[in-house]
Amino acid sequence: MSPEQEKFIKKIKINKLKIMLWQFLIIISFFLIWELLVNVGILSAFIYSSPSRIITTIVGLIKDHNFFIHIFITLKEVLISFIIGLSLGFIIAIILYEFKFVAKIVDPFLTMLNSLPKVALGPLIIIICGANTKSIILMALLINLIVSVITIYNGFLQTDEYRLKLFKTMHANKRQILFNLVIPSSYQTIIASFKLGIAQTLIGVIMGEFLVSKQGIGYLIVYGKQVFNLNLVMSGIVLLALISYLLYKLIVILEKKLLKHL
Amino acid sequence: MNNILEIKNLTKNYHTKEGEIKALNNFNLEVKEGEIIAIVGPSGCGKSTLLSLISGLDLDYKGNIKAKDKLKMAYMLQSDALLPWLTIYENAILGLKINHELSKENIEYVLYLLDLYNLKEFKDAYPKSLSGGMKQRLALIRTLATKPDILLLDEPFCALDQQARLLISDDVYQICKKEHKTVILVTHNIEEAITFSDRVIVLSKRPAIIKNIIPIKMNNNVSILERRKDEAYQQYFDLIWKDLEYNES
Ligand SMILES: Nc1ncnc2c1ncn2[C@@H]1O[C@H](COP(=O)(O)OP(=O)(O)OP(=O)(O)O)[C@@H](O)[C@H]1O
Ligand SMILES: [Mg+2]
Repeated sequence: MSPEQEKFIKKIKINKLKIMLWQFLIIISFFLIWELLVNVGILSAFIYSSPSRIITTIVGLIKDHNFFIHIFITLKEVLISFIIGLSLGFIIAIILYEFKFVAKIVDPFLTMLNSLPKVALGPLIIIICGANTKSIILMALLINLIVSVITIYNGFLQTDEYRLKLFKTMHANKRQILFNLVIPSSYQTIIASFKLGIAQTLIGVIMGEFLVSKQGIGYLIVYGKQVFNLNLVMSGIVLLALISYLLYKLIVILEKKLLKHL
Repeated sequence: MNNILEIKNLTKNYHTKEGEIKALNNFNLEVKEGEIIAIVGPSGCGKSTLLSLISGLDLDYKGNIKAKDKLKMAYMLQSDALLPWLTIYENAILGLKINHELSKENIEYVLYLLDLYNLKEFKDAYPKSLSGGMKQRLALIRTLATKPDILLLDEPFCALDQQARLLISDDVYQICKKEHKTVILVTHNIEEAITFSDRVIVLSKRPAIIKNIIPIKMNNNVSILERRKDEAYQQYFDLIWKDLEYNES
């Protein structure tokens, strides 16, 4: 490696470190200022809780063994609805792609469903499915399914026209075109839809837990509100932030693994 | 028959909401076996349309396209259309795989071609790691892998820089001569048309009719670069230039 190259690489590394340092500083000062404002009495500890109180609450939850149960329940609901939503979205996108006429017919309905605030359907879902996990999963499913269908279908439509022409000149049949060209071409979009999908699913699950659940992080928050334990509410929010970040990171890692040749 | 392909009274109209577009009108062409034909013509005159009708991509036309029995065609496009998620080798055998022709003999032929074009050592790499010229070579190997009798080339070299363009068009030229392939090349490049072909066909503006047919009589046992030095070259160039220029006005 030439000295210039080494310098260049070093510069990139230092820059990355600087960014991480800033992010770390922002988080630390955010929590410190929060703690300080509460301790000095500018913010009410009752309403705003404080980082130390949140830590105590979370430690308490861990001691009760409830901590892992709540996290596990929420993650389970997220995973189930995410996987169902994705697979179903994938299948529906294929059907729409293969039958363009159907796609044209359902287009306005999809748009409508997409912009409809699904939370409005909550009460209806509960009446139909009962106040249980099924409702939560259905709620999350409704939210992520439409997004998956639309993004994956649009990915299919963006298949390169030259490649399509190539396959046609090779006399490939519809199935070969779909599996050897259209779907692999859309890897990137499909993974991008994972990112959107996981965030949407989390929204759906928490909304569902707000409405019906007896367990899960959404429940912790609602329960905390009911008994005016704002420490619990804040702890729930912090946990949610952590979980959503971790889930997102997981997908980014997956993305790097799957798309390394593209 | 001596002709590998006979086109009679070929007429093609595109129908769009804005109206009808006449792309070809009573077009006639005969192609002999082993012949290399270059087609030049103004942009949008119907060259690509002609190729997609010949290849059977588009079956909506009037007139007659008669091809020799069991004629195998292969199409090479302006874009290399490689699949980035497949390795170089997997890209090369794509046509064979789709047509379920992965016999030992065919695979050996692909490996021979990869070797010939210095791509064998990259066999398991991905297209991302190839240069533009190498990509186009790989597209050529993929085209040749199915052992077509006739090659339809639609501006296959136009995305390349001048050097790669000359080198690769010479590769294609040599292999087509050696294996006695029939070729129809569509190009905007007059030099390429002359040096590559046995016959240059100049088309008129849309709807395309044949404006002139110019048989090229130059030594065809030399490279494309050598052919440019032939004394007849400039005459051909002027002739085609005039035909095309006339078209523009
Ligand atoms: N699918 C289509 N629908 C409608 N019109 C089309 C279609 N394909 C081509 N055309 C029109 O037909 C005419 C001939 O098109 P074609 O692509 O054959 O021209 P070309 O000679 O290959 O042009 P270029 O040199 O720019 O590649 C053009 O006017 C084009 O706009
Ligand atoms: Mg064209």
